[in-house]
Amino acid sequence: MKRSRIIAIIFIIAFVGFFGSYSAWNAAQPEHTCASCHEINPSFHSWQTSAHREIKCVECHGTALSNGLHSLQEKGNMVLMHFTGDKHSADIRMSEEQILAIMDACIRCHQTEYSQWASGGHSTTYGRIFLDESHNQMEQPYWDCLRCHGMFYDGTIYDLVEPVSTSGPWKLKDDQMAQRPVIPCMTCHQIHTENDPYGQFAQRLDHDHAEPVVFDTRFPAVALYLRSDKQFLRADFLPGVDFFHNGQKINVSDDPLQRLCIQCHAPNFRREAGSEDNRTPYGVHEGLSCMSCHNAHSGNARNSCVNCHPATSNCGLDITTMNTTFFNPQSEHNIHFVSCDDCH
Amino acid sequence: MSNKHVKAIIIGAGAGGGCIAKELAGAGFSVVLLERGGWPVYDEYINDELISQRTQVLRPAFGPDPEKNPRVFIHPDGTRQVTNSLSGAIHHHIAACVGSGTVSYGAMAWRFMPEDFKMRSTYGEVPGAALEDWPISYNELEPFYQQAEWELGVAGDDSENPYAPPRKKPYPMPAFEQNVDGELLSAAARRLGLHPFPIPMLRNSVPYLNRPACIRNRTCVGYQCPVDAKNGTQNTVIPVAMSTGNCEVRTHCQVAEILSSENGKVKGVRYFDENNREQTQTADLVVVAGSASETARLLLNSKTRLFPNGLGNNYDLVGRFFQGHAYTGAFGLFDYEVKTYTGPGATFGLCDFNHHVEGMIGGGLLANEFNRMPYLFSQTRPPGAARWGKEHKAFQAKNFKKMAELHGPIQEMPMYENRVTVDDTVRDFWGIPVAAITGQRHPLDHENCKYLSARAEEILKEAGAIQTWQSVGGRGSVGGFQHQCGTTRMGNDPKTSVTDKYGRVHDIDNLFIADGSLMVTGGGFNPVLTINALGFWVGKNIVERM
Amino acid sequence: MSHQIIQDRREFLKASIMAFGGAIMLPSCLRNYTPFLFFTADEALLLTAICEQIIPADENGPGATQAGVIYYIDKQLYEVFTWEQDKYRLGLTAINESSLELFSANFDMLPTDKQLLFLKKMEGNELPDSYWKDNSASGFFRTIIQHTMQGFYGPPRHGGNKNYISYKMINLDYPYVVGRNLYE
Repeated sequence: MKRSRIIAIIFIIAFVGFFGSYSAWNAAQPEHTCASCHEINPSFHSWQTSAHREIKCVECHGTALSNGLHSLQEKGNMVLMHFTGDKHSADIRMSEEQILAIMDACIRCHQTEYSQWASGGHSTTYGRIFLDESHNQMEQPYWDCLRCHGMFYDGTIYDLVEPVSTSGPWKLKDDQMAQRPVIPCMTCHQIHTENDPYGQFAQRLDHDHAEPVVFDTRFPAVALYLRSDKQFLRADFLPGVDFFHNGQKINVSDDPLQRLCIQCHAPNFRREAGSEDNRTPYGVHEGLSCMSCHNAHSGNARNSCVNCHPATSNCGLDITTMNTTFFNPQSEHNIHFVSCDDCH
Repeated sequence: MSNKHVKAIIIGAGAGGGCIAKELAGAGFSVVLLERGGWPVYDEYINDELISQRTQVLRPAFGPDPEKNPRVFIHPDGTRQVTNSLSGAIHHHIAACVGSGTVSYGAMAWRFMPEDFKMRSTYGEVPGAALEDWPISYNELEPFYQQAEWELGVAGDDSENPYAPPRKKPYPMPAFEQNVDGELLSAAARRLGLHPFPIPMLRNSVPYLNRPACIRNRTCVGYQCPVDAKNGTQNTVIPVAMSTGNCEVRTHCQVAEILSSENGKVKGVRYFDENNREQTQTADLVVVAGSASETARLLLNSKTRLFPNGLGNNYDLVGRFFQGHAYTGAFGLFDYEVKTYTGPGATFGLCDFNHHVEGMIGGGLLANEFNRMPYLFSQTRPPGAARWGKEHKAFQAKNFKKMAELHGPIQEMPMYENRVTVDDTVRDFWGIPVAAITGQRHPLDHENCKYLSARAEEILKEAGAIQTWQSVGGRGSVGGFQHQCGTTRMGNDPKTSVTDKYGRVHDIDNLFIADGSLMVTGGGFNPVLTINALGFWVGKNIVERM
Repeated sequence: MSHQIIQDRREFLKASIMAFGGAIMLPSCLRNYTPFLFFTADEALLLTAICEQIIPADENGPGATQAGVIYYIDKQLYEVFTWEQDKYRLGLTAINESSLELFSANFDMLPTDKQLLFLKKMEGNELPDSYWKDNSASGFFRTIIQHTMQGFYGPPRHGGNKNYISYKMINLDYPYVVGRNLYE
């Protein structure tokens, strides 16, 4: 009896002691906790100078014990590295599950952006993309699908879907995947970013023109996650490429956000505007950025005409009811490529 | 652990092994296909120049593990240097994965020309070289070339090549288009009276056999295809073999020895499985298709009472006549951009210098070159140009898209002294004696290279290059780091060859070879389609006779 | 859910290991922290100066320093080129000693023209022999050139070519823009 009571008391003390210190640890400022391990110094510094510096590590990453096995394993490895003196594997890479958990944290504040995303095409799921029969019959799933759909997926195309062929019937090896989004927030946004976003609002004078120049604060926060490199490349570092229509080079907006769009909404190898999934405009809308009309999160372009146009066109027509795909999706005049001579 | 007896064991899942696996499994043979590497996984290699098959600086993306797979190179002065796949050309690297080189190759699908099978009768004896005729002719192999073209998938059109060997059936897919430097250089070649035509490619110009068309990926040669539009044995004949239900592919299996019975026949193999456990597999027949260097090594490591120096080696011929290709060509700088860096880069070829040149023995094709990625480009400069510093950087910045090149493989002279042996003192991870390679090129190789490089330079000049220079190959040690072949030469006489015309090792009824080792001479072409065809040829004859 | 319970138990075990590990790893954190795996801070400074001469920042764009070439060499010496470690350790010392003898200053403190002069001597094996008994000066310089080129022009995932800045210089678009294959 006595002995078991002692054990119980010891257990209670240990329990209280452990969870007491554990909750104290979680409540403390990151510089006293997470950042005391130099392995995560780079992440800590970029967080400290980011727009999210008011949000503590645990709010997105969870606590030491709450963020899935992958995270435990990674932290465990860091501890192990101290024992062995091994300096390998210092790179922190999040699993897809972690990415999605962090996305839940994004939603807590960015509700508008989330609902826009949810209402648009980019909230599509593994089930909708990889079990699309008409597409799979035309073209088998392959490695490169994951470049734009499921870029955080932890396995390969062979782990995801079977059969990898045009014959079907196709199924996801793990049914649970069907509802997962394939293009989560972190496809286009990196959360830890160098540079103080508030500091960048500072204006500077361009002496030649005496015009105030406002720094673009969107980068590096807008960045594309490269599955091939397992890291982000900020949108303003993405390449702008030449586009062609009927063999002629066309004007293309230099908006870095458009450079991000064309990474996945890419043309064929001849870089013909409008080929494959690409909608780089030529005709009357040549040179416009995707962002001139489309909402970044929903993709919706419904109310965008008024940004540039008066209610009527030069010919006195209501531009929103002209014969284009804007008015009627079946129209032969795609709004991206419509030109004056289509009608005149 | 005992493995169920099978009809056939095939060692090596590369260009030859994959084709023969399909042939045997398709005929109802139970087959075990042993491969020392694993299935290639695109996500592990992606587009990384520093591990690509062309520039393996940090590791070879497609294996084998450099630390586990050393070799020895014996220099002319007798010094023995232990090498691995990061040691450069003298290692004579071979990829280790299902598909082997056919996963990451540039995929040129050349048929050899009739003369390539009759080098001795065409050119007579060449001092210092061991030129011989093949025991089979082009006509005998033609149906198997055709089979390879249709079962793996080749896009091409040789109607503008007056030297094209005769064919009974056209290519299954239309040829690829020319790129900017291809248009420019082929027009110049035509003005010089030459005959440029699109390179036949083991790559889908249109969807073929349920796989998609090529997307012109920039990083093609040296890399796996992200959309599986490049046709290797790993995505064509091997899956077909597996789909018959008769072929089991066992990956990460390193074969140590071929086992023999007292009657002189072989009865199976001893190998190390993926957990490095020793295993035995028995079979009615064994096919070796491990590449010229590894096939020879395995035969030499398999010693019996009847073959005390290794299987098939009673006349000291296994491992001899080790050949490869000396690459040679020229570069030209233009004052405008001639490279778009759409993939893969090589689009046209010329066969004007294969066998039709007065005074040249063999010769080789010329083609515009695959994309040279930035690190490889930084190692490419005209003679005398700065190798570092501001000037070196300026060259890179200015000329990355303004340099065109023409290169080609020169048919090497086979030599008795160029050979693969084994070195008992150096063992691999599994304790197996490693291949030791030795040999220097025949002087003619360099002479032929000089000729071909000069022609390449003429074309670049004609195309309007403002500066040209040659890179002349064919000197130094044997060229088996590229397109190695020839170590178990086929022939009719057991005293001068290792196998008969059907790839059967002389005096061993049930041991066959089905890779580039069979090749008597290496041709002036990339050899993969010939190796595929030999795989089908040996396979068909096994099915008919066993 | 039984899966959940197992996970919690594992997590508990993990926490105990963490607490224990935290106490033990503390001493190692007290050492001077550098971001390098192989180099000391001084070696890194010296090698950075050499790499910057091999690929200098100029009108064509940023040089080796800004591309993070030092991080490439450091990482690869630690992970891959382990057989080159001695060459670097001895070689960098020999460079500093040679530089002190020839110009009475550490290499990285020399002005650009002196650094270039020094490297040309090194390339031609004309540095004082006494410091280069175990290591060939020109051979070591060739190795540094190779590694610098790899770090500057190779992909960023190995530590150098930060943000693909060398690709930008040669106007090579990366990532390669190419769509899926809807047959035309």
